Amino acid sequence: MAAVANAADRRAEVRRERRVAFADVRTVWFIALRQLWERKLLNGIAIGGVVLGILVLIAMNGIFSGFSMKFTMAILKISPHVIVFDTELRPQPSILARHEGTFVATSVAHEVPSDRQARIKRPSEIVRALQQMSEVRAAAPSLAGMALIEYGGKTKSIDIRGIDVDAQQNVTPLNQFVKKGSLGALAVATDGIVVGSGVAADLGLHLGDVVHAAAPGGRPLDLKVVAIIEAEIPPVDKVRAYALLRNVQTLLGKPDIVSRIEVRLWDENQGFAAAERIERMFGYDAEPWQETNGNFLAIFAMQAMIGRFIVAAILLVGGFGILAVQIMIVLQKTRDIAILRSVGLRRLDILRIFLLQGLIIALIGGAIGDLLGKLALIQLAKLPVKMEGLVKSDTFLIHEDPSFYVYGVVFALVVGVFASLLPAIRGSRVEPVDVLRGQIG
Amino acid sequence: MTHIVEVRGLVRELSGGGAAPQTILHGIDLAVPHGQFLALTGASGSGKSTLLYLIGALDRATSGEIWLDGVEMGGLDDDDRAAFRNERLGFVFQFHFLLPEFNVLENVALPMWRRGIHRDDANDRAYEALALLGLEELWKRKPGQLSGGQQQRVSIARAVANDPALILADEPTGNLDSKNAEIVFDVFAQIAGDHGRTVVMVTHDKDFAMRADRQVQLRDGRILADARRGEEIIPPSQRMRQVSHSR
Ligand SMILES: Nc1ncnc2c1ncn2[C@@H]1O[C@H](COP(=O)(O)OP(=O)(O)O)[C@@H](O)[C@H]1O
Ligand SMILES: [Mg+2]
Repeated sequence: MAAVANAADRRAEVRRERRVAFADVRTVWFIALRQLWERKLLNGIAIGGVVLGILVLIAMNGIFSGFSMKFTMAILKISPHVIVFDTELRPQPSILARHEGTFVATSVAHEVPSDRQARIKRPSEIVRALQQMSEVRAAAPSLAGMALIEYGGKTKSIDIRGIDVDAQQNVTPLNQFVKKGSLGALAVATDGIVVGSGVAADLGLHLGDVVHAAAPGGRPLDLKVVAIIEAEIPPVDKVRAYALLRNVQTLLGKPDIVSRIEVRLWDENQGFAAAERIERMFGYDAEPWQETNGNFLAIFAMQAMIGRFIVAAILLVGGFGILAVQIMIVLQKTRDIAILRSVGLRRLDILRIFLLQGLIIALIGGAIGDLLGKLALIQLAKLPVKMEGLVKSDTFLIHEDPSFYVYGVVFALVVGVFASLLPAIRGSRVEPVDVLRGQIG
Repeated sequence: MTHIVEVRGLVRELSGGGAAPQTILHGIDLAVPHGQFLALTGASGSGKSTLLYLIGALDRATSGEIWLDGVEMGGLDDDDRAAFRNERLGFVFQFHFLLPEFNVLENVALPMWRRGIHRDDANDRAYEALALLGLEELWKRKPGQLSGGQQQRVSIARAVANDPALILADEPTGNLDSKNAEIVFDVFAQIAGDHGRTVVMVTHDKDFAMRADRQVQLRDGRILADARRGEEIIPPSQRMRQVSHSR
């Protein structure tokens, strides 16, 4: 009987405890919200700081990542994922040097560079073997070199690529960039050339024009413009030209030579791993696209870093805004804190009130910052700008990454907690007696 | 348990930043029975507020014991004392402290919300307490819209609404004109008399002190005199004998 009563008592006790625990949280919320509501101006200032930080975070990131993603996407279309070069990693030493230190030759003082032409041996076998690799989507042999082309009295140095049109198309989808004419014509015509839009503009070339091309050591050729391409990457469009492998071999005086094999992977992010495997398998230098375009990617990395610094600085300022406002409030509110403590709120309740207020300010700031950030991105995307540096575009390149809205709010909350921690602790330390006694008397 | 407050050998020292500790209360012994209206008097700086806040579990004694309703305050931690204040005590201060963001009813009900009393019940009880003080019409106003006397009556309503065993007031009439002071004093007398609550009130007003059930006078941190209403004030020598006797 007594045991039953005890159990009932305990349950009643637990219920009461829980009700009280809930009551203190509710009271804390109530006080925190009411006090916030009653000082809108100060809170508005604190919120403004956070809003600014989040707005800049989102806008800056939208611009920076938009720019770098556009560039990366464009470069990934025109640039192969891995290039296999003709530099052998473990070249055989010359016959004499092989006997260095032996009876035949004690040392080889100065080896004259061989006049052997750099080339990839048995390229079609390597292409076939590459295509067998699981990570490789396509591979194409080509010959790259410098040539001069002349049209209407003007000459221009170009980076000409001798390709197998179909194979190359699988590695770098050139037909996506065709502005005028068609790539198919290159395969059909025996003396066609495809030029970048910048090359065409510089020389005033149109479809059907015949250019005179020449290179040292080779045989000059007259080539007819069959297509003009534009990758929207000015550094490429201004110098690039494509012709049939056979013609370029003739032009450069390198019959039957393939200087590189371009590879497209299923997953471009595997560039480094794939390049390493290819090097090990074939003994040729293989370079992933991240390395080929390393200097551009480094610019973006730098840009992202600077952006992070700026955002961190602004968020810090926002944090100081909250800190300043909260400290002011805590100092102003010592009377109220003393009252709340005298009617039975604990130190923890006081701490919670101020932390909660900081969090709410941060949350509202974060939400408004997100919203304004979104609007800013929409407006920026419409803003006309003529860009012709690394990437060609008529508007700001904006990439909207939804995770940054989440980051925005999370950062704001972290800043809010840290900024209101100090004032909240200070508030919770107020000794009611010191305040309530008022003046001594 | 006949005494709601029992103070034994209470000493409060202040260790003022390196200087020699200053003793504010030198061994106070005091017992207050249930339902008594006690006036605490004495010159400025005699230690009245210090004693009141110690009895109110707002401060900690240097030595000695404070028993409130059978609970020794020295054995409670900060949170327990906060809970004790919330459930058992009501405070009224000289500078009628109300929370400016909350209306009159909310100010009175807030301690009860904290205690876990259902919001509607708490608000009902707050309204009753306001009615007791003739303030029910003003329940929606913010403290800033009230006169000083009205504000002080609201803080009394807050102190009594929670139905506390003990109400502590530190010069509640000190900042009021004589008319309002009279009203406030009468309210305390009524609370103690008609409602059977215990009230300890610090006051400078000799007239009010005489009209309380009992008058305790402090001087330099010691009890100088202790008299029931109408009684002669007990001379200090006799008081000292009483103290040594009770030890
Ligand atoms: N925080 C403090 N710092 C320094 N002295 C104090 C402090 N609090 C109280 N005292 C001293 O303690 C004595 C009693 O103060 P108090 O209890 O406020 O007196 P009363 O309320 O009777 O006027 C006074 O002499 C006062 O100077
Ligand atoms: Mg005082």
